[in-house]
Amino acid sequence: MAIEFKLPELGENIESADVLNILVSVGDKVEKDQGVIEIETDKATIEVPSTLTGVVKEILIKSGEKVKVGQSIVTFEEANQKAAIKTVEKQVETLPAKKVEAKPAAAIENKTTFETKKAKSASAVVDMKLPELGENIESADVLNVLVKPGDIIEKDQGVIEIETDKATIEVPSTLSGKVVDVILKSGDKAKVGQTILKIETGDTFAGEVSEEKKPAVIQAPVEEKVEFKNAANIDSTKGERDKFSPGEVDNQPPISKGAAPAAPSVRRIARELGVDINKVQGTGPFGRISMDDVKAYVKKLNENRETLPSLGIKQEALPDFSKFGEVDIKPMSNIRAKTAVHLSYAWSSIPHVTQHDKADITELEKIRKSHNPKVEKAGGKLTVTAILLKVVAAALKVFPQFNSSVDLEKKEVIYKKYFNIGIAVDTEHGLIVPVVKNVDQKNLTELAVEMNAIAEKARIRKISLDELQGGCFTITNLGGIGGTSFTPIVNSPEVAILGVSRSSLEPVYMNGAFEPRLMLPLSLSYDHRIIDGADAARFLRWVCEALEQPIKILIEG
Amino acid sequence: MNKKIVVIGAGPGGYAAAFLAADLGMEVTLIDKEKNPGGVCLYRGCIPSKALLHVAKLISEAEEAKNWGIEFPKPNIDLNKLREFKNNVVGKLTGGLGIISKQRKVNYISGTARFMNSETIKVDKTDGSSAEIKFDKVIIATGSVIATIPSLNINSKRVLNSTTALDLPEIPKSLLVIGGGYIGLELGSVYNSLGTKVSVVEMTPGLLPGADRDLVSFLAKRIEKKFDKVMLSSKVLELREVQNGIGVKIQSADGNISEHVYDYVLMSIGRKPETKGLGLENTRVKVNERGWIVVNEQLKTSDPNIYAIGDIAGEPMLAHKASHEARVAVEAIAGHKVAFEPKAIPAVVFTDPEIAWAGLTENQAKEKNIKYEVVKFPWAASGRALTLDRSDGVTKLIIDPIDQRILGVGICGPGAGELIAEGVLAIEMGANVTDLKLTIHPHPTLSETIMESAELFFGQSSHIYKPNR
Repeated sequence: MAIEFKLPELGENIESADVLNILVSVGDKVEKDQGVIEIETDKATIEVPSTLTGVVKEILIKSGEKVKVGQSIVTFEEANQKAAIKTVEKQVETLPAKKVEAKPAAAIENKTTFETKKAKSASAVVDMKLPELGENIESADVLNVLVKPGDIIEKDQGVIEIETDKATIEVPSTLSGKVVDVILKSGDKAKVGQTILKIETGDTFAGEVSEEKKPAVIQAPVEEKVEFKNAANIDSTKGERDKFSPGEVDNQPPISKGAAPAAPSVRRIARELGVDINKVQGTGPFGRISMDDVKAYVKKLNENRETLPSLGIKQEALPDFSKFGEVDIKPMSNIRAKTAVHLSYAWSSIPHVTQHDKADITELEKIRKSHNPKVEKAGGKLTVTAILLKVVAAALKVFPQFNSSVDLEKKEVIYKKYFNIGIAVDTEHGLIVPVVKNVDQKNLTELAVEMNAIAEKARIRKISLDELQGGCFTITNLGGIGGTSFTPIVNSPEVAILGVSRSSLEPVYMNGAFEPRLMLPLSLSYDHRIIDGADAARFLRWVCEALEQPIKILIEG
Repeated sequence: MNKKIVVIGAGPGGYAAAFLAADLGMEVTLIDKEKNPGGVCLYRGCIPSKALLHVAKLISEAEEAKNWGIEFPKPNIDLNKLREFKNNVVGKLTGGLGIISKQRKVNYISGTARFMNSETIKVDKTDGSSAEIKFDKVIIATGSVIATIPSLNINSKRVLNSTTALDLPEIPKSLLVIGGGYIGLELGSVYNSLGTKVSVVEMTPGLLPGADRDLVSFLAKRIEKKFDKVMLSSKVLELREVQNGIGVKIQSADGNISEHVYDYVLMSIGRKPETKGLGLENTRVKVNERGWIVVNEQLKTSDPNIYAIGDIAGEPMLAHKASHEARVAVEAIAGHKVAFEPKAIPAVVFTDPEIAWAGLTENQAKEKNIKYEVVKFPWAASGRALTLDRSDGVTKLIIDPIDQRILGVGICGPGAGELIAEGVLAIEMGANVTDLKLTIHPHPTLSETIMESAELFFGQSSHIYKPNR
């Protein structure tokens, strides 16, 4: 009979491991507790001892592979029982590198196995119940039943797959034997302690480890029943018995494997810092968690939060530039550091697309020049940017998705009913974006005056925080310097930005001839999560047309 | 912070809570029936029983001294003086707590409390007056009461419980202890050493149900030698008063029913929570089907203003659990992010030999299918144990086979209750076997058995030859 040996539970939260070495080969006779493979988990390197005795028939994994808990590792041709018992003593020699197995115990176990076997001749049908799944888990949904009546199963073999609020897990059999009846079907809710399977155990299926457990398993339910009866007969006679009865530890967390190895003081600090101690990687022996580990974890969390834009990509180490020539190292200014973080975030979290277009501002330029003196008298300057403020505000009304923000976590789009537009200002201290509020409610003269004032404040670092907040959209004009187009970065959490380059006279073919027209190149970068390309093209076209025929603002905006 | 805190019940949970709350600057009222803080533990439990057990040990050691060439005459027991010694201990401790309570400006009220609603309690004081108290938070620490079997409740002075047994009415000629748990065995040992013929009847197949059998076996052997009779898997069917004694009908393991007459009977089947009379129905506090108040990991009940600690808040019903919970509850009230999250709560049975354990027991490990390894160091290999002529002990470690972490410690032997603290610390610190092995323990002491158990795990104990591989 060929039997599969599966990777047993390795400890809480360990679901898989890397195979380092395979310690047996086909044809080898393997004893119970003999190391079969050597694996590496994130916690330790361990040898996996066989739970079976037999001759290796097939090896199902290779070193270097990842194995999952419950995955078949090797198949055994089962050896006869007498041979198994004879070789028990030899185990000690065959297992030199074994980590912590207590050899004497194993030998004794096997002896008992033998005796039990002799004593028992008849087979028994035993209930396999849903074992404890973890603290506070009382029931679970059955996803899959992995065995059927007639199956021969081994101890630790998965019998059902269940889903709790925490995880999907395979429940390993506590017994070996033949499945007589499957009580649950997929879709059922199973309670802890409820019978899952009826398993026929006995001589036919002996020879495995679980054998010595059998009497205990058979007894357990009987004992429970007895206690129950007594409890029913004599009510309110709890106390004493409860006090010492294991398993009835309301409230008392039983120490178990998988609990983070950390001193109480460390656990408390972690709790105060809001850190789940179980997530902290301990640097001490066997992963013991020190105070420093908790602090390092918190620091890493914070760093991750700050460098979120890099999406987990760590900065590559910089070379020593001084090797190549003279360097001068200066600390980043605050503005520079913030800009760097903010733009990195915007760049990596927003899928950017940039749409380019040109507006014919030949006529607009005439109007601008003729009205400028009046505006100048009021203390402003009628610039293309000032006009663009008004145009964009109108465009935002026509295309409301450009005046929004995206909350991907909540899957929500926030539409704004106000029209505040930021203007990127180049100052000697760095890039600053003051915001002109309620652009839709102000005329061009007012806007020009305000823009002048606010830009000046930004340059002399007198700007208030209030004046830097609340923008819906940003305009960045590099036309004063030059260029034909560029791809601005959306000023998150806004969803679009309009880049303005230098206008120039270009030959435009109109009315059957080339005419010199003053063309203004515009570049609209937008957040593709919320804005489609066609909308962006329409939006930018609308802006261009409004610049060409400002009446459009009054009619549509 | 000037929160108004009321603590109901002044046992080791309640007074610890009240004192810490006062230390943190809260305005504290502590209510208890007794004149001073102390609760069952100090007045009628841990403390008086330990005073008597100390005497019991002295008597049995004096007896055993004849094996070492020292023979004492049979002791002359002055019961009044013994009672006075015990009462003095209790008086000193509870009186001291009363003074400390005043020093901390805790408003101590002698009386009983009842909830009117989630903000008010009514106190009926022992002086006959009553008062209503408004509070921000209440901590319920009313403890537990002696469990009884109604069918065996016969009103007789000769049927003792743990409270009346501590009063030492007289030295009975014979005593039947009903319940082989720690209370019965401790008090049974006291009377046994005073000269009483003691028998024990226990419903389950072993003494101290729940404790690992290998720890209990030394105690069981000694008790079987010293006691008159130990009846396991046996049940008391009936008690009735007869002339100069109590007639007891016992059904033994084989189903046979027999009747015996004992001078006295001690009912010690345990303790149970009792919430009747607290007026919890006027609050949102929930009580589970077994009588315990349901609390979260901060000891908060389902009523946000009300916390519960100690025996009333669930098992294990132990004083040291209560006082630890007290600190967590008060710190939670003070706004700290804390939780009741011990890795081990030690349990000690103060018999001779003592039995103590902490963390995972082998019984639990088997039941929960937790993989473990166990090493046992027999005290016969301990020099210190031999100098005491007490080789009837064992120290064992329950170890995680993968990371070699200490999951549980069990000790049987004289002084086990003191020794277990190291095990608790090891478990709390997440220590592994190597840590215990590499910690120098003083020689010659019983504490070395912990270190040697760890050495034994690696097959390297100096005093036991048992190579591993």
